[in-house]
Amino acid sequence: MEAQEKEKSAMSTESNKKRKPKVIRSDGAPSEGKRNRSELDLDMKYYSEEAEVDIRDPNKDYDLYRFTCHELQRLMAEIQELKSRGSRDSASEIEERRIQSCVHFMTLKKLNRLAHIRLKKGRDQTHEAKQKVDAYHLQLQNLLYEVMHLQKEITKCLEFKSKHEEIELVSMEEFYREAPPEISKSEITMGDPHQQTLARLDWELEQRKRLAEKYKECLANKEKILKEIEVKKEYLSSLQPRLNSIMQASLPVQEYLFMPFDQAHKQYETARHLPPPLYVLFVQASAYGQACAYMKPSSQPPRQDKKLSVAIEGSVEEAKALYKPPEDSQDDESDSDAEEEQSTKRRRPTLGVQLDDKRKEMLKRHPLSVMLDLKCKDDSVLHLTFYYLMNLNIMTVKARVSTATEIVTPVSAGDLLSPDMILSCLYPGDHGKKTPNPANQYQFDKVGILTLSDYVLELGHPYLWVQKLGGLHFPKDQPQHTVTADNSLSASHMETTMKLLRTRLQARLALTKQYASLEHGIVPVSSECQSLFPAKIVSRLVKWVAIAYEDYVDLPYTRDIVEAGLAEDTHLYYLALIERGTAKLQAAVVLNPGYSSIPPIFRLCLNWKGEKTSSNDDNIRAMESEVSVCYRELYGPKPGHQLLTNQLQRLCVVLDVYLETESHDTSVEGPKEFPQEKMCLRLVRGPSRMKPFKYNYPQGFFSHR
Amino acid sequence: MVGCGPASRSRKRARQKWQPEGRRLDIRKSFLTRRDLSCGMEVQRALERLHMTIFSQSVSPCGKFLAAGNNYGQIAIFSLSAALSSEAKEESKKPVVTFVAHDGPVYSLVSTDRHLLSAGDGEVKAWLWGEIIKKGCKEVWSRHPPYRSSLEVPEINALLLNPKENSLLLAGGDCQLHTMDLETGTFTRALRGHTDYIHCLALRERSPEVLSGSEDGSVRLWDLRTGEEVQTIEVYKHEECARPQNGKWIGCLATDSDWMVCGGGPALTLWHLRSATPTTVFPLRAPQKHVTFYQDLILSAGQGPCVNQWQLSGELKAQVPGSSPSLLSLSLNQQPAAPECKVLTAAGNSCRVDVFTNLGYRAFSLSFS
Repeated sequence: MEAQEKEKSAMSTESNKKRKPKVIRSDGAPSEGKRNRSELDLDMKYYSEEAEVDIRDPNKDYDLYRFTCHELQRLMAEIQELKSRGSRDSASEIEERRIQSCVHFMTLKKLNRLAHIRLKKGRDQTHEAKQKVDAYHLQLQNLLYEVMHLQKEITKCLEFKSKHEEIELVSMEEFYREAPPEISKSEITMGDPHQQTLARLDWELEQRKRLAEKYKECLANKEKILKEIEVKKEYLSSLQPRLNSIMQASLPVQEYLFMPFDQAHKQYETARHLPPPLYVLFVQASAYGQACAYMKPSSQPPRQDKKLSVAIEGSVEEAKALYKPPEDSQDDESDSDAEEEQSTKRRRPTLGVQLDDKRKEMLKRHPLSVMLDLKCKDDSVLHLTFYYLMNLNIMTVKARVSTATEIVTPVSAGDLLSPDMILSCLYPGDHGKKTPNPANQYQFDKVGILTLSDYVLELGHPYLWVQKLGGLHFPKDQPQHTVTADNSLSASHMETTMKLLRTRLQARLALTKQYASLEHGIVPVSSECQSLFPAKIVSRLVKWVAIAYEDYVDLPYTRDIVEAGLAEDTHLYYLALIERGTAKLQAAVVLNPGYSSIPPIFRLCLNWKGEKTSSNDDNIRAMESEVSVCYRELYGPKPGHQLLTNQLQRLCVVLDVYLETESHDTSVEGPKEFPQEKMCLRLVRGPSRMKPFKYNYPQGFFSHR
Repeated sequence: MVGCGPASRSRKRARQKWQPEGRRLDIRKSFLTRRDLSCGMEVQRALERLHMTIFSQSVSPCGKFLAAGNNYGQIAIFSLSAALSSEAKEESKKPVVTFVAHDGPVYSLVSTDRHLLSAGDGEVKAWLWGEIIKKGCKEVWSRHPPYRSSLEVPEINALLLNPKENSLLLAGGDCQLHTMDLETGTFTRALRGHTDYIHCLALRERSPEVLSGSEDGSVRLWDLRTGEEVQTIEVYKHEECARPQNGKWIGCLATDSDWMVCGGGPALTLWHLRSATPTTVFPLRAPQKHVTFYQDLILSAGQGPCVNQWQLSGELKAQVPGSSPSLLSLSLNQQPAAPECKVLTAAGNSCRVDVFTNLGYRAFSLSFS
């Protein structure tokens, strides 16, 4: 209620206020106006409405305006009412009211003017303020820019790199340890990194100065030493001719003392021009030869009874001319390829001639070759010449045998010592007909060579062991890009191969000797082996001939051997005929190149009362096994090269036994053709009714095995 | 020869395969020497195989294994069940195990229900089947028949089990039959009468009598109770079967009730024992080394690669070729324990044992390695 009253009172006061100006205007306005005018007149002498604006309160003006409008409305409504009443007395009232309204209009006009002036003033003020703000904004931007610039400058400074940072300085500890205190100044520098760096730089400079001095000293020293060397060189070169003359003078002495140092020296000089595989062979062979010579205890100088001598043959000049830059010899693959290209470019002559040339080029040998002379105890020598085919990268060998005493080569021994055959199958399966280098086949295809075997007579045989001696290894399962000569490979094969070679030569020579007798129907049993056989042997060898592989295969009783893979076309084949009375025993013999470690294999066919072979007579089979299987007791004295002779002799013996123990057919008239002369414990034994083929020394009787 | 081909070829192939392995130097170094040696050995082994003779065979009590003895004193044990199985490989035709039993040839083999007995030059050895199969080859015992000392040790050509008395009959080079008690291992009796070495023995089923055939040409019938010689048939003296060009030796004999068949130098002949008369002479030129009755047939083998099948009337029913040039022994596996392994095996002058699954043809060969 109070609030309402307050409101009421407020409203009343408001309404009072509103009324007041009206009152003022209607009553006191002129007085007030007079006073105002007088004041203004006093101050400015003239009325300024603009100044009045500053004095008046706009809110009050607003209230005045509302009050005036309201009064006007009321007056209009009263006039309306009066007019509608239409009474006469009302005209004055209307007039009064009209005057009042006019006053109100005047008031409204005044207020309108004031409002306009105020608006203008306000605009001016706003504009002024805006200009001020703009000026401040500009200032602010200038300042910001300045700040940014300064910041950039700061970072530039911070990022500045000094040259001294690139210099590697000695470490801190080292610096304090080594630098003199006047440079390190530890009391200052310890705390101040800048000073410290400066001090370290100083120290660095100091040290570098010192080193530069040292360097200069060393250069001078070097100069001096070079000069000295120069002088000494001159002295040495002046010494060479003198030494040469001394060497020349000492030659007769060397010869007299069997010390051919000079010769060896020359050989080594030549060896430098050998292609790598031949060089490997040369080095390894000489090394092995020397080792052998020293191993042999003998009173004579070591070089005298040398079993293995190595020499180089061929023209050194040609070898030198062959490759001016010696690196070329290293890879023959690319070499030959290059030549290939060259020859395809000049395709002028006829195709045949050109191919011939190409073939010749491909099969070209290196002008130097290595000679190996392998000496045996009986002074027979195996001469081996090793060649190197440059474009095929393989080595070949040619062999020749020379004996101390001239031997007449028997007909059947034709192949034994022939250069073509003597080294065949030194290792099992190594026939030396095919090239061991798989790459060669492609080279051959280009020039139309079918196999190398057509050329081996001329070039020598490319046996696998020859490649190994030269240190060449051609693996079959994994392709190798460049095959290079390998010393260790050669060394690992040298001893075995040399032993095999010597054994082969001895075996072949022994066989040749045996054949010479065999062809004359004599079985040359040596005195050491006499105990293997009884004194009286009646069966005689009448024929010993070599036969061809094809002939051997065609024999009806050799099928088993061929099927068992014991007969190959690289083996040697012979036919022996042993006779006693009407009985003829034919023996087909397979001689393995590995004789005598691999025994000759015999196949028999007896012509006596019908044809008897191992397939229809158990005893013939037993005879075969007696010579072929039980061969170990027939080796005789080492190294057992008498095996073949002993086998043939035993064949004669067992034939005797076979014939003599054959049971006498009681239905046939007359005495036995072969009376029993051998002493036998039993004639037959066992389920297969074997005859007693085993000879017992010294009792001299025959028993069963 | 057919069986030997692939075997030796495969060995060769193995050698070739081996060859390119020399990659590193150390391998290469050993490679040359090893191969050189292996080649010499290879040739010798090939020769030994070529000259091998299998003298004897015996089937194990379980019927699944076959023992074969050769002229080098080796006994090879083959697994018949493996070789006959459907997934048999080349490998299963090789011996399961091979061991050296005697110094000389193994002329005779026989199996008791636990032991394998082998006989060679002058000694009998026993091996346990159970251990042999597990490849443990140690002899259980070895006995020497009482021989008079002589320069030569007589061989034992024939072994015969006498199951009724649990004894073993041995005969061979000393012209006597020895009986050995298997219980105690002592030699109880020697039956003397033959004038040359004895090839073969045969036991009569009902009466305790044994027949022996000898190099001297006679077949003798012995009474085991008394040790007396009951009957002597000198086969070579009968014109029907005598063949003087072949000799008079009797190499094989077999008996069935009152009948006996024997052959060798003289022709293969069927005899009636009680009357001692030859009833059928079988027309075959080659000397026979083994003969046996089988159902109503007579099987014989000897010189020549064939197993001959005869009717009792003397008709040749079939000649089945084997792989050996001549045969020495036949073995019929009739062990009831292994009916699937019921086969005929034949061996002789080769390293192969031919296996006939029926009598019509040779199925395959087992081979010594």
